[in-house]
Order: sequence, then C-alpha cells, then structure tokens
Amino acid sequence: MIKKWLRPFEEIAGNQRYMITGIWIILVIGYWVISSLGTKHLFPTPVQVAGGLRSLYNEGLVVHIVSSLLLCFKAAFISIIISLLIVYLSPIPLLKPIALFFSKLRFLPLTGITFYLSILVSNARQMQVWVLVIFMSLYFITSLLAVLKDIPEEEIDHARSLKCSRWEVLWEVVIKGRLDYALDVLRQNLAIIWMMLVTVESILVAAGGLGVLIKNSDKFANHGRIVALQIVILLIGLLLDWILQTLRKGLFRYSTF
Amino acid sequence: MDITDSAQGPFPLFYILIKMTIAYEQKDTILHVESLSIAYGDKVIISDISFTEKDTIRKDKVQGQTIAFVGRSGRGKSTLFKALTGLEQPTTGVVLIPDFSQSITNGNQPAKKVREGDVGFVNQKYTLFRHKTIYQALQFSLRNSSISASEKQEKIMKYLADWGLEQCKNQYPNELSGGQKQRTAILEQLLNSNYYMVLDEPFSGLDVGNILNVKESFRLVNESHELNTIIFSTHDIELAVELADSVYVVGYPKNNNGTLNRTGTILKHFDLKEMGLAWQGEFTDKHLDVAKEIKSIMLDS
Ligand SMILES: Nc1ncnc2c1ncn2[C@@H]1O[C@H](COP(=O)(O)OP(=O)(O)OP(=O)(O)O)[C@@H](O)[C@H]1O
Ligand SMILES: [Mg+2]
Repeated sequence: MIKKWLRPFEEIAGNQRYMITGIWIILVIGYWVISSLGTKHLFPTPVQVAGGLRSLYNEGLVVHIVSSLLLCFKAAFISIIISLLIVYLSPIPLLKPIALFFSKLRFLPLTGITFYLSILVSNARQMQVWVLVIFMSLYFITSLLAVLKDIPEEEIDHARSLKCSRWEVLWEVVIKGRLDYALDVLRQNLAIIWMMLVTVESILVAAGGLGVLIKNSDKFANHGRIVALQIVILLIGLLLDWILQTLRKGLFRYSTF
Repeated sequence: MDITDSAQGPFPLFYILIKMTIAYEQKDTILHVESLSIAYGDKVIISDISFTEKDTIRKDKVQGQTIAFVGRSGRGKSTLFKALTGLEQPTTGVVLIPDFSQSITNGNQPAKKVREGDVGFVNQKYTLFRHKTIYQALQFSLRNSSISASEKQEKIMKYLADWGLEQCKNQYPNELSGGQKQRTAILEQLLNSNYYMVLDEPFSGLDVGNILNVKESFRLVNESHELNTIIFSTHDIELAVELADSVYVVGYPKNNNGTLNRTGTILKHFDLKEMGLAWQGEFTDKHLDVAKEIKSIMLDS
C-alpha cells in the first residue's frame, strides 16, 4: 500500500486519500503541539490560540466578519460589473486598448492609488470600497482577457457559419459561452482580494472588520489572537472559494475544468 | 464505351446503356472560384485555384450538386473550405455565388462575393456551442426560421430520431462522443443553411450506420432542391467517387525539375456526370477505376 502511495500518477481509492489527508493533519497538529511545549517558542500553544479565539468572539468577531464580507461582496460586485463591461467590449478594435491599458495598470503600487483616491473620496468607507474595486478590476480584467484569448477560432467560425452577426457571436460565444469562466475568474481572484481586504480595512479602524481586529492584536503583540484570527480568515476564504466552485459546477453542467 | 465490345445479349446491353447515360443539362453557374490563393503571412498555402460549378438539371427529377475534394493531408483542403464559406478572406482571387436577393437581369442571376453565413460549414473538429445541449443547438439553428414553435419542435424531434440522437438530446457537447458531435454539427447546418453546405471530412469517425445516415442526408438534401449544393472533403476516395458528381483532387503540383511545389492547388477535376458515373446509387468497376486513378495522382503530390 505504502509503495502505491509513493508511485507517481497512481490512482488510489477514496478512503485511502482521506487517510493520507488525515495523516498530514495529525502530523502538522502534532508538530505544532510539540514545538510549543518548551518555554521559548515561535508559535503560540493551541491553548493560547483557543484563548485568543474566545477573546475575539467576546469582542464581536462575528460582527467584524460580517462587516468584512459585506465590504468584500460590495467591492466584488461593482468591480466584476466594470471588468466584464470593459472586457466584453474588447473584441471591438476601437475599445480594445482600454482593456489592455487597465490590465497593465496592475503593476501600479497600492500606495499611489490610495493617495489619489483620498483626494477624490472623502468618506473613508467609500475609500475602502474603491481601493478594492480598482484592484480587483485590474486583476479581473487581466484574467478575463486571457479567457477571451483562449477561445478557439473554430468556435467563432462555427457561430459565424450559422448566420450569427458579429454581435450575436459576441453574445453567444464570448458572453454566454464563457459565463462559467467568468465565475471562475472571480473565484481565483477573490483570494488576492481577500488578502488585500485585511490591509485595506486597517486604513479605517472605525468601520470595523477583520483587518481592524488583526491590527489591534498586533498592537498588543498577542500571538494567540493573531494566529486564531489568521485561521479564521483562512477558513472563511476557503469557504468562499468552495462556494463559488460549487456554484459554478452546479449552474453549468458542462463546466468540467 | 467498351460495353459494345462485350459479348452480352441485346437485352442486357440495352439495359446497361440506359442505366449508364443519365441525361442532364447544365444551367446557371452556382459557384465560381477564380485564381484563389490564401497565404498566412509569407506562407502561401493554396494558389491558382479556379473552377466553376453549374446547376445540374435532370429531367423528371430534382437534382442538387455534390462536389468532393480529396487530397493528402496538409494540402490545403480545409483552408480552401474556409475561403469557400467566406470565413477567410482570400489573399487573391474571388469566390462568387449567385445573389438570389437580386432579380435576374439579361437572363443571368447576378453574382456576389461569398460572405460569412452564406454557406453552411461543418468543420473537421465538429465544433459546437459548448453551452448548448443538442436540442438547444438545433433550436438555435432554426431561430430565423418562420415556422411556428411547435413545428420547429416537431422538425427537431424528427431529425433527432432519424439520426439516432434522441437519447442524448439534452446532453452538452462535452458529454457526447465524437460521432454524436459530428452528427449534431451536420444537423445544425442542415437546419440553418440555404443552398450551400460545406463539410470538412464528414465521414471520419463515424460507424457504418452513421455513414449511411450521412449518405442518406446528402441524398435528401440533393433531392429537396435543385440548387442545393454539398461540398465535402474526405480521405475515403471510393466514397467520394460514389457520392459526388464532381471530384477535385487537391495536391502539390510538380515543378519542372520533378520536385514538389509546396503550395496546394487543384491537380485534376473529374466530372462524373460527363463520365456517366454520377447518380448510380452503387459502386461499379468504373468507379473503382476512377478511384485508382485519383489515388495515383495523390501519391505523386
Ligand atoms: N493559421 C495557419 N497559419 C499557418 N499555416 C497554416 C494555418 N492553418 C493551416 N496552415 C497550414 O496550411 C496547410 C494546409 O492545411 P489544411 O488544414 O488546409 O490541410 P488539409 O488539406 O485540410 O489537411 P487534412 O487532410 O490533414 O485535414 C498545412 O500545411 C498547415 O500547416
Ligand atoms: Mg483538413
């Protein structure tokens, strides 16, 4: 059995896969417990983390999570609409440079953008939303452009030969035919956004959110809390990822990638 | 014809003669290709392609046209088809088809350059809409048709049954076998196109039954309107000779020094109508001779 586990490309049964995952989890947790046994340790002990989690909960962890999620959804919603519009119009030669320009802008540093935004937007919450929107959009546009580019010419030709006008080709092949890809682009880039969210939230403490909690914990150098928070953020991120993945597979039966 | 030399009795001789010479007439031009060439960048793929096909009229029978293109792999059949369907702009030359939107002037149907959508096209890879089930795809093909919704449904269901696709009518392309995809692609064009349909290797990957389906559909298309024209390519030379009334061999021509000029063109045209081999409904020894000749031309190209 062990020999099979070590052979490249070997197909193994489902319960054995769970077993392997289980072994790894036990190893990691075991390492964590053992490494935090001594007096000097890098990681807080599981007990400290549990304590951190409890104190976070008492400070309204759930409210902060909801606040973060709302910010994330709001920004994602605005930005996916803007990006889809820009990208879906990019097959029009006149409008193509717009999409390419925004895609290149993703190399701009965050600080520069926040500076200009703070001149334009006075409300700090608005500012958070727009910083996220701008960043998300740049990544969305880049990924969506790649999806468009990967559409085989035969698919376009197939639609053309069925008497589709060019606008119909755009609608059928690019927009309707690649909706599942758009959802997957959202999923893939959500990780970047979820990570950035924490940073952006610390711009404005009053608005709350997970970023604020991290910042506060940082101040007190409370490792138990920081690790607890990080685990929470990681799990929520994974949950979002899983939801979007399941949504895509559920909505689009033909989406098998 | 060598039939006269054979030692057969008078009755069979008479019978064969009737069978061999099917009377036909040729009228208006339905497809005219002139000095067509296509180059991708500096690479000339096909050049000097010129041919004309005319509307065939048979007495007492509606007869469309079936034109086959054969040639070895990579000689430019698919590239030529892209030009014939208006999907690729020719580098030089033109592809003309009759413009039925204009009325006949001086006894001639005015011609126009072929544009995308004028000619139905089933490509070699049987591309379909990835987000439409077979049924939805066929519905989409009929979207511009003037018949009522229930008539559309009836028509689609009839085709699905005839073509053995009823079971999988709600499946997406990624859930279909190659042959099922191919038949769907052909059906889409059958429901959508007007007179012309170009099929790139419609017989590859089909089982014996499916091949009969496609042959049968060719016959139906041919008999439903005299202007209906099927253009197809195949690597099955016998099949091309059996089905087509006009066969073109595409290949590399020889240079003066005997080497191959690596640009595809038409090497030879067999007008099977003229040869008395068209519409026989069976594969005879004569057909076999033509197939042999075609193969030897191909091997030299
Ligand atoms: N987009 C392209 N750019 C450059 N060369 C191309 C392109 N498409 C096709 N070719 C070349 O054109 C030649 C003819 O290709 P084509 O697909 O027309 O051949 P074919 O006769 O249909 O072959 P097969 O029987 O294998 O389908 C090939 O040598 C191919 O490499
Ligand atoms: Mg080909």
